[in-house]
Amino acid sequence: MVSSMDEKVVAVIMVGGPTKGTRFRPLSLNIPKPLFPIAGQPMVHHPISACKRIPNLAQIYLVGFYEEREFALYVSAISNELKVPVRYLKEDKPHGSAGGLYHFRNLIMEDDPSHIFLLNCDVCCSFPLPEMLEAHRKYGGIGTLLVIKVSPESASQFGELVADPVTNELLHYTEKPETFVSDRINCGVYVFTPDIFTAIRDVSSQTKDTATLRRVSSVEALQPATRNSTDFVRLDQDILSPLAGKKQLYTYETMDFWEQIKSPGMSLRCSELYLSQFRLTSPQVLASGDGTKSARVTGDVFIHPSAKVHPTAKIGPNVSISANARVGPGVRLISCIILDDVEIMENAVVTNAIVGWKSSIGRWSRAEGVYNSKLGVTILGDSVAVEDEVVVTSSIVLPNKTLNVSVQDEIIL
Amino acid sequence: MIKQIEALKAAGVTEVVLAINHQQPEVMLNFVEEYEKKLEMKITFSQETEPLGTAGPLALARHKLIHESGKPFFVLNSDVICEYPLLEMIEFHKNHGAEASIMVTKVDDPSKYGVVVMEEASEAARVESFVEKPKYFVGDKINAGIYLLNPSVLDRIELRRTSIEKEIFPKIASEKKLYAMVLPGFWMDIGQPKDYLTGQRMYLNYLRKNAPGELLASSGDDVVIGNVMADETAVIGERCLIGPDVVIGAGCVIESGVRLFGCTVMRGVRIKEHACVSDSIVGWDSTVGSWARVADVTVLGKDVQVADAEVIQMSAKPEIIQKV
Repeated sequence: MVSSMDEKVVAVIMVGGPTKGTRFRPLSLNIPKPLFPIAGQPMVHHPISACKRIPNLAQIYLVGFYEEREFALYVSAISNELKVPVRYLKEDKPHGSAGGLYHFRNLIMEDDPSHIFLLNCDVCCSFPLPEMLEAHRKYGGIGTLLVIKVSPESASQFGELVADPVTNELLHYTEKPETFVSDRINCGVYVFTPDIFTAIRDVSSQTKDTATLRRVSSVEALQPATRNSTDFVRLDQDILSPLAGKKQLYTYETMDFWEQIKSPGMSLRCSELYLSQFRLTSPQVLASGDGTKSARVTGDVFIHPSAKVHPTAKIGPNVSISANARVGPGVRLISCIILDDVEIMENAVVTNAIVGWKSSIGRWSRAEGVYNSKLGVTILGDSVAVEDEVVVTSSIVLPNKTLNVSVQDEIIL
Repeated sequence: MIKQIEALKAAGVTEVVLAINHQQPEVMLNFVEEYEKKLEMKITFSQETEPLGTAGPLALARHKLIHESGKPFFVLNSDVICEYPLLEMIEFHKNHGAEASIMVTKVDDPSKYGVVVMEEASEAARVESFVEKPKYFVGDKINAGIYLLNPSVLDRIELRRTSIEKEIFPKIASEKKLYAMVLPGFWMDIGQPKDYLTGQRMYLNYLRKNAPGELLASSGDDVVIGNVMADETAVIGERCLIGPDVVIGAGCVIESGVRLFGCTVMRGVRIKEHACVSDSIVGWDSTVGSWARVADVTVLGKDVQVADAEVIQMSAKPEIIQKV
């Protein structure tokens, strides 16, 4: 085995594209979902900063089909900040996660890495990447998946898998099964050796053969090339399922938290998880205050340095306040995400809510979500104005709306 | 009710009997004693042990209502709010010299009420008949719930469940001994919380025109909007915004940053910092927590605690929240 000191590692983070983040509306109307702030940092920042802990990390690639300019600013800023080159690679069309990796194989292999991490951007976890790498080396396979134990009821929403309890080998893999298979699920975080490209190529050429055979007899082939396309390769069904039980794939189980950030409501939960992780890993980024010079803070709170929070406000737990937001006297914020340039006026209350860019909440107004209600968390889109004394409960408000009466369980279009 | 007692005092009444049903007199006892001293009046209770309707309680309190002088007595329904031209009513009663006088008020939708049909549509008219919830127009004057009765009326009432409007008055009217005086100004049935708040608004408006000194003026850091009445013993914090249409009772503590509008805050209530109460009634000795919200015709009973940041609003139907 090559000494780990000389090995280079690259990380690939799949960020998806504009047709993907639909469940994230109205917040994804303004900003690519991967750049939406979770715990005060863009969603993609969390896997990126986790990559920083990988020894001999040479390069981080973001792969997606958003326009390059949407990521340009962020990519250059984060490269400087982390002192690791970060590059955005735009797919011409969706290739699937394995297909996307394969599509850019020449670039990815440029540094001749010994290992390649593949991470999905919309998962929230502690990303134990160095630990995975170490386990992967011991297993000696071509890939190791991060897995977590979940409740049997929720397992079927994800890729369920069975692993050998002794060797941790992946024995069986099935995506969103109809019947219960296992309470261990795929976290969407992988480490591979370059042999993965051979495995994808093999699958890809098989699909091509099947497609060629089919073309004669099937009208399917006449349909626009999407999922049938020969260069569309899913990682789960096309790679993990066939390679399971062949001593090529192994699992590494995390005992920490894991969530998938599908909906805006989940981003609030994930913000909470990351903020509590900051408490352990980088407590200096969390705000503190006792109500004298700065606002009273309880629990884990992030306040951007450019935000102005009145000392008589009370903030937390689980609050993140983005750049240039203004929080007035006597305001109460609990479990919420306040985005850039928002103004919260005096004595207003925001709880279980996401307040979109440039929105304003009037005096003695409330924006609040009720879990277990139809819409759950209250979400105000970009530039929404909630007038004085108005109560917005468990509602979703699309951009540029003005609310002068209280609403509950409504979608304001 | 205090307004009524004060009006009675102004009309020269010396003794008040509060006819109450079987529910808690304990709440009332405290402030009755206080007002007895303050107004130098005798205030007593007459408590029914079973429901006696609107006339039965008069029979129950018969011994308190009959005076050797043979003078008439007032009967006031406590859940109405209006101006109380009681001296004028005494004058009216003396002028017609008959057995009973009732106050009537003009309403827009008489079909909801019992209409009082008078012989002629003048200011002082003899009552001809009563029509309960008329289907077609018979008149637009309804019973305002304020009566001035000679002691002889008591001879007509048995001690049982009896309705004064349906059983006693029609009989007196048929004997041509009942006269009706039209009530000037506003009148409101405040039996329902929403109506109570509307009645309060009308009453504060009346004060604005007739006794603006009773209302709070904007001062210092506190900002007062519109008509606000606060007991002199109430304490109001900084950066509050109060009004319009707010009444704050004795001993209340309104902490800083509180917003109140369209509401009644009864005696001994504490509204904590940054809370907002609108279109609601907060009952005696209740506490509304910091950043809490009470809205939409919510009625908090006596000694209710609203937790910090809690929201209580009855969008669908009014509900009375009692201490558990």
